[in-house]
Amino acid sequence: MKKFIVLLKKEYIHMVRDIKVIWLPVVFIFLGITQPIVTHYLPSILKALGGGQGITIDPSMTSQRGGEVLASTLGSQFDQLGLMILVISMMGIIQTDKANGMLAFILTRPVTVISYIAGKIVSHYSIAALSVAIGYFASYLYANYLFTNVPFSHMISALLLYLVWILFIVTFTTMISTIFNSQGVIALISIIFLIGCRIIVGLSPVIDFVNSASMSKHAMTVLITGTISSNAIANLLVTLFWIVLMLFVTNYWIANKKFNHE
Amino acid sequence: MKLEILNVTKAFKGKVAVDNFSMELESGECVGLIGPNGAGKSTLLKVISNITDPNAGEVLLNGQEISKMKSEIGYLPQYPNFFHWMTAKETLTFMGQLSGLKKEELIKTIPEILAKVGLRGEENSKVGTYSGGMKQRLGIAQALLHKPSLIVMDEPVSALDPVGRREVLNLIGEIKKETTILLSTHILSDAEEICERFVIIKDGIKIEDTTISNLLNRNGKNKLCVEITAKDQKWVEIVKKLPYVKEVEVIGHKVNIKVENIKKNKNMLLEHALENKVDIVKFDMNNDTLEDIFLKMVVVK
Repeated sequence: MKKFIVLLKKEYIHMVRDIKVIWLPVVFIFLGITQPIVTHYLPSILKALGGGQGITIDPSMTSQRGGEVLASTLGSQFDQLGLMILVISMMGIIQTDKANGMLAFILTRPVTVISYIAGKIVSHYSIAALSVAIGYFASYLYANYLFTNVPFSHMISALLLYLVWILFIVTFTTMISTIFNSQGVIALISIIFLIGCRIIVGLSPVIDFVNSASMSKHAMTVLITGTISSNAIANLLVTLFWIVLMLFVTNYWIANKKFNHE
Repeated sequence: MKLEILNVTKAFKGKVAVDNFSMELESGECVGLIGPNGAGKSTLLKVISNITDPNAGEVLLNGQEISKMKSEIGYLPQYPNFFHWMTAKETLTFMGQLSGLKKEELIKTIPEILAKVGLRGEENSKVGTYSGGMKQRLGIAQALLHKPSLIVMDEPVSALDPVGRREVLNLIGEIKKETTILLSTHILSDAEEICERFVIIKDGIKIEDTTISNLLNRNGKNKLCVEITAKDQKWVEIVKKLPYVKEVEVIGHKVNIKVENIKKNKNMLLEHALENKVDIVKFDMNNDTLEDIFLKMVVVK
């Protein structure tokens, strides 16, 4: 436990020195406010630039409700560009330690692999969750201001559901970073797999059940309809199962020294 | 403290790096593991410091599995690579805490250890700005910090310039009074200077395990070294035919001559050379250096 705190503290200090604690939230604030602002001003922008001839602007576009706008912040900003940025910011989470020998070096000390992994996941997840939450909150403020009010309880429960999906993203990237040795490959595999998961949501109920990206869909449903769908709990359990499984694989990989590739 | 390495074998993708290697290390020894590049030195040290698992065999420290005795070992990697964004003090605090030392304890010991390795005044600069020698010294500080009973060093001086090497060698000479050291190197004069015992390894196999005096006595007998000028090279051919000369080896202007009985034959050879009006630059009884012995062992066997 004490070793875990030491490792965790080290990760945080690194993030502060890398100013990741600043730029990641800033990126998500930008992503968060883009959706409400663009949605609100798009008609005026089109009118000003496009000359307006032959273009009819659907009046329902500007009369979207706040919850819908907030939902599309999650669906079309955070789940696309946001996801890529998250993955790229974390692709070296284990890989850099492997590449410069620090992982092997740290493990020559009496440190358990579990405390090492826990330090990594907890630190990176907390910064990711914080950034997402801040960006989401910014989006919430703009949606309330430019569109209709979103009930606070909906906002919070959607955020909690969405953060489970973020945990899945962090764990998955960590596992891939443990197994593969090139940052490019890690980023590519993680982004393709995670965005792929997100795209196939809604295709078939069976796939949705095992697909952790459904958590993002549930969050959106809460914002749009105001009710948590009945599958959410089952999905939550399945997602937690995947997370535990991935942690197990990561632990197995490091504990059995598969990362030594000389 | 007693380290036992029992029949350790380690292979990478079919290539055997360490082959059925066994040795023992007693408390207070300073053992040099020497061998050519690719002999398996680093791999063996990695097995000993529990970075890689062997395919077969085991390593015991005081009769315990090495993986349970990590706090008793200090490891210095071949290229110590710390987090470049940390300062020396932070690095030592971090490694020390991972070794289970208390913070209050570290506040006291870190300045002492930094002074010992000659890094006082640099404790607050980032490791990323350090030179190779400074990193090496920080690596040694890190390995000493938790007062382990065994220090394992992988090529501690090979990557350093003469000045850095001198500093690190003196440092090792000092710390070997307090702990047991196992180090690998391919620079033999360094090993000769600091280690009392040598283990020579080649292609993963232990080919020699002995003390330096033993090694030199065994190999350095009945040899004369004559340094002559270029015009007298012909004399070498005559020497080869002398009855008491057993073996002649020419290295540049140096001629190593092995004779039957050094006491009797050395003056005979000198007389012979003078008779032939050989221009002698140097004439001495040759003791093989460790390097000669090493080359002979590694190349011939």
